[in-house]
This record gives sequence, C-alpha cells and structure tokens, in this order.
Amino acid sequence: MKAPPLNPGASSGVRSHRARKDLLTPLSLPADLPPDWQKVALRKFEELLGQQRSLQLSLDLCVRCGACADKCQFFLGTGDPNNMPVARAELLRKVYRRHFTASGKLTGRFAAAEELTEEVLEQWYTYFYQCSECRRCAVFCPFGIDTAEITAAAREVMASVGIATKYVTEVVKKANEIGNNMGIPEAAWRDSCEFLEQEMKEETGADIRIPVNQEGAEVLLVPPSADLFANTDTMIGYAKLFHAAGVSWTTSTYASEAGNFGLFLNYEQLQKVNKRLVDAARQLKVKRMVIGECGHAWRAAQAFMDTLNGPLDFLESPCPEHICEFAARLIRRGGLRLNKAANDGQSVTYHDPCNLARAGGLTEEPREILRAVVSDFREMPANTIRQYTFCCGAGGGLLADEMMDVRMKGAKPRVEAFQASGANYLATPCAICKAQLPVAFEHYGVTAQVGGVMDLLGKAIVL
Amino acid sequence: MTSFLPILVYVSATLFLAGMNWRLAMWLRTPVPLKIVLTPGPTTTAGVAQRLAGEVFLFRSLFQADRWLWATSWLFHISLVMLAVGHIGGLVVPGLAQASLGLTEAQFHHLAQVTGGLFGVLAVLPLIMLLLRRLTMERLRYISTFSDYFAMALLLLVIATGNQMRFMGALDMAQARQFVSGLLTFHPVAPPADAAFVAHVLLVCALLAYIPFSKLAHFGGLLLSPTLNQRNNPRSQRHVGPWNKLQVAGTPLSKQGPLA
Repeated sequence: MKAPPLNPGASSGVRSHRARKDLLTPLSLPADLPPDWQKVALRKFEELLGQQRSLQLSLDLCVRCGACADKCQFFLGTGDPNNMPVARAELLRKVYRRHFTASGKLTGRFAAAEELTEEVLEQWYTYFYQCSECRRCAVFCPFGIDTAEITAAAREVMASVGIATKYVTEVVKKANEIGNNMGIPEAAWRDSCEFLEQEMKEETGADIRIPVNQEGAEVLLVPPSADLFANTDTMIGYAKLFHAAGVSWTTSTYASEAGNFGLFLNYEQLQKVNKRLVDAARQLKVKRMVIGECGHAWRAAQAFMDTLNGPLDFLESPCPEHICEFAARLIRRGGLRLNKAANDGQSVTYHDPCNLARAGGLTEEPREILRAVVSDFREMPANTIRQYTFCCGAGGGLLADEMMDVRMKGAKPRVEAFQASGANYLATPCAICKAQLPVAFEHYGVTAQVGGVMDLLGKAIVL
Repeated sequence: MTSFLPILVYVSATLFLAGMNWRLAMWLRTPVPLKIVLTPGPTTTAGVAQRLAGEVFLFRSLFQADRWLWATSWLFHISLVMLAVGHIGGLVVPGLAQASLGLTEAQFHHLAQVTGGLFGVLAVLPLIMLLLRRLTMERLRYISTFSDYFAMALLLLVIATGNQMRFMGALDMAQARQFVSGLLTFHPVAPPADAAFVAHVLLVCALLAYIPFSKLAHFGGLLLSPTLNQRNNPRSQRHVGPWNKLQVAGTPLSKQGPLA
C-alpha cells in the first residue's frame, strides 16, 4: 500500500474512553492524576529504563532513517504522522532526552527534547493507544527497534499515574475476578458447553464432550473466552479434534481465558493474569497445556509464561502447545480422517495474527491444516503475510467501539490484501481478528466470511 | 597549532573511548526480562550469529524495507569502513601495509590514490543523496531533528576535506605520517602546514567527541538488540529474567485455596 500524504492531527480526535476509579483502584492504580504525577511518572520511566534493555536501546539507537515510517497500518490508513512508528517513538524519546540525557537537559528544544507535561501525556494517551503492538515496524528496522516495547513502556508509565483505557482495565479486572475477558461466570460456562455438546450431538449423532474442570485430563485447553459465545464453531472444532484424536482434555473455569490484556497495561497484570493458567494446570493435574485461537495469548503463554510464572517442569515439554501445532502433528501422523469436500465452496486464505507470526513463530502449522482441510487454499500477497502480516487493526487493546474510526482505517491494508487474494473466506486463529475483520469487511463493502482454522478443521473431520 | 591540535586529538579520542565505554556498559548492564525475539527467529547460537551478521554486513532488514534506502546507506557505510582501513594502512602502518601487499612506494601511492579517491566519492555521494532524501521527502522532513542534519553535515565536512586533500591538495604524506605516528607514540610533532589537513583533523575531533553522545553510537548497540540477538527457544530453555532470581520459589499450592 502506498504511503499517504501527511495529515497532521488526522486521528488525534480518536481516543479510547478513560478508565475511572472503579476500574483503576482494583488494579492498584491511582484514580486521579496525583499532585506529584510528573515525579511519579518519571520515576516509573527511570525504573523501566533500568530494567529493560530493549527500551533503553530503542531510545538510543534510532537514526530516524524512516524505514519503518510507511510500514504501520495505522499510518497507512490515517495519514497521521504521529502514527509513523518512528514518530510515535519520538513522543516518548523527546521526554527521555529532556529528563534523562545530558544533551537534552542542556539544550532543550534544540536537541528535540521536551518536558513531560499534561499536554504531552494527552498526546501519549492518544497515540500509544493507536498502536496495536503488532511489531510490523520492528521487522524492517535495521536495529530491531520494537515499537511494541516503546508503546508498552509508555502505557506502563501512564498507568502509574492512573491513565489507562476503560476497555483494557475492564477486561483485566474481569480476568482477575472471574477468570475470563468476557466475564462469563462458571454456571454460564458450563451451560454453554452443554449447549454446544447438544448441538454437536444433533449434527453428528456422537457424544462429543466439552469437559469442564476435569481433574487428571491429559490436556488443559485454554481458549479465548470469546470462542464459547462469539466463535462457537471454533470451540466445536477443538472438541471434535480432541474427540477424534482420543485425547482426554478439559477446560478450566478458573483459567477460562487465553488472552492476557495485562500485556496491554503493565508487567504486574501481565504476570498476574498469566499465573491463573499455570495454577489451573497444577490444580487440575494435567500433563499438557494447549492454547486456543488467540494471537497475543500465544505470545504471553509461549514466550513469557515460563519466565513469569514458571518453572513449568510439572508439565510435559515442550509446553505450552498451540492448538494448531497439536492438530498439524496429528494430521502429519495420519491420525485424523479428513474430508475436504465438507468445505467445498470456500475459497480460503490465511491471515497471520501479528503475535503468532512475529512474536510466536507460528506461521506454517495453520497453513498445513488448511491445506489438508480445504481444496481451495490461496495466499494473500507475499509482503502482507507471515512476518510481514498486517495487523487486523484492533490488537493491543484497541478493540473498543469508540476506536472504530482508527480501527477501520488500520484494517484497510489487510482488507485490500484480502481482496487481492480473491478468496471468500478468511481463516485466522485469533479472537480479536475475528471480532474486527467482519466489521472491516462490511465497512469496505467486502462480502466474505471470517472464521477460525479450527472451524474448517472441525467441519472436515470425519468421526 | 603545534601543541593545540595534538591536545585536541587526545581529548576527543578520550571522550570517544570513555563515552562509548560508558554507553556500552549501560546497555550491557540493563537486563532483558523477557524473551522478545522477533520471529521467525533462529533457535541456535549459530543461527543468531548468522542473523546478526546479515544485519551488520548486509543490512538485511533495511533491504526488506526500502531497496533504494538500503543501497545508499550500505554504500555509505561500506565506504566509511574502507576509508578507515585506508587511513590505517596509509597513515598508521604504511610500511607494513606496503610490504604485505608487495608493492613499490610508487605503486602503493597509486593504490592509495585510486582506492582513497573511489571510496571518498562513494562515501560522499550517498551521503548527499540521504541528505536530499531527508530534505525532500515529506515524512522524512517530519521526523528529522536538528541532530540528524548536524550529524550529516559533520560527516559531509569530514569527507569533503579529505577529498579536497586527495583531489586538489598537495599534502606532504611524509609529514602527515610523522604527525600520526607522533600522536600514537605520545611524542606529538607539528602537523603539516596544510589548511585542509588541519581542518580535516579538527572535524574528525568534533566527530569523535560527538559520536558517543548521539545517534551515531548506533553501531555499538546493534549486536545487543534483544529482538535480534535472542534465540527463539523459550519452550526448550527457560529464559531467566532479573526478577526470577528474586522470586520465592512458589507458595505451596495447598495454601492457595481452591481454584475452580
């Protein structure tokens, strides 16, 4: 997609709703900007600088070559210069220069250094919540500078003075209190599982279970909770897969959410939300943990879980495993009977969720599965898939209604690439992508279906 | 000038070495709490070495980003390296360089003229193109700061004064070599009475002193970048962060209460 002309301030008015006291207090964050907020924020900033080499290096190494500038879907879509990754990073960097470097302290504006004021804070709030932490820019940076690290640090500094979005804090609160992002209590979880079991019985005649809190099962499956309500075909896919594989499994009502919105807020909540998965696996005495179709969940589980809440040596290694790894392995072994004809009429392409491709190293297994279960599988243009994938436009905690304008503009590169593929079905293993892309398709007048990889696998499995 | 210039060289060289040392020490002592490697990424140390070599020698990521930008900046950087090699060969160890190449004095001088001239031009042209890019592309102009232009101007002047000596000057090489070996043996002698030479040395001093405190220190940090230098193996080898060492080994499960 061609870079648009700059349109300063184009998306400055699109802002997430702010979290209030009721959401901040339970997360031990201050409810109002404290009187000494600048000191608190700078102390937090300094603390992060001392703790994260990625942050320190990102602030020091950038030469402003602009290689990243036209790689971000939010810049491509909005034309707002602050959505160029390098400019987004400069919002943090200018404060870093002013408060933490000699040249910035001495020469101020001349060194492009700027005091941390409430105005700057407002600018941060706008643009660090127009970044989906998708890491596409990092792929093209000659120094591997990762804007996701910069955005995460800025959000953590903001959170330390009580500035966070309603959407992210609400989700984290629900995950902490109920165990999942949708806020589904145990009784409703059980009801929904039973309902889906009945549905499968009617469809197939077989007794396919969706077990809940079953101690001693081999696998603990942690899906995004959206799979139980919004993406039920994905849930049915998991159930059929385990049934056909003859592997005992269970869901947990304590850890009924793979997603981890702590990743979009601060380290403390990232660790806390992640801990539920480890505790549930211990408590249920399972051998393995399998993560369902959620992009950033895979990052939090695969790359961070052992460090945050490990060691995971009570589980079989390598652990956790992704549902697509599990399924692809079975298919490779010939352990599943599949009927491609069940998906005939679907011309399918695969959208790599950003966290799966760039932070989880999982790009081939989903394709392997799709090739085995559909007769018409096709790719989108090469510079928009695998590690070059475009974010759906709603990751990183942006999937809120008030963000719609930026979400739709951010989805544009993905939608255009989809149209270029000529497919009529977009398969993607991520609950956020599945919530965002149908809206984007409608917005751009594209008639196509969006679903999970497991949805198509479930339909093709011959029981 | 006789005593002033050597002192300036010593001061700026010290600033450069101490400054880079301070920078590298700061980067190195800052921990990497989580596994944040960009995937697909190598799982072995050899693979990481290959990935980093690709970045250092071929600017692999930049190649994917923008071919034109890649070509100009790669040419610029390789020319800088070649010029540095040439300076060492021609000024610091001329005897050794000449002998190991098996050349006569005249041939060696000729080689220096050709390679020095070639890389002098190959360094300056991409630099001018990069500067024009910064000045003419709307989004580049938006992100550029004063320090970006300052760094370019400084480099441009350093190379331009060097080229002036190469193409238009009549520098006495013997005197220049004496000046350099005087500096290196801490018995400084007077610099050649050549305005371009003195200007060149002054500008290099400014550059050396400026590097550690600016974005020009970027060459020192690339190898330390966790997104590029980590192995992609979080499930086969536990990544230990700074807090893992502090963690009390898990509260007994019995004390955590029922989960479901």
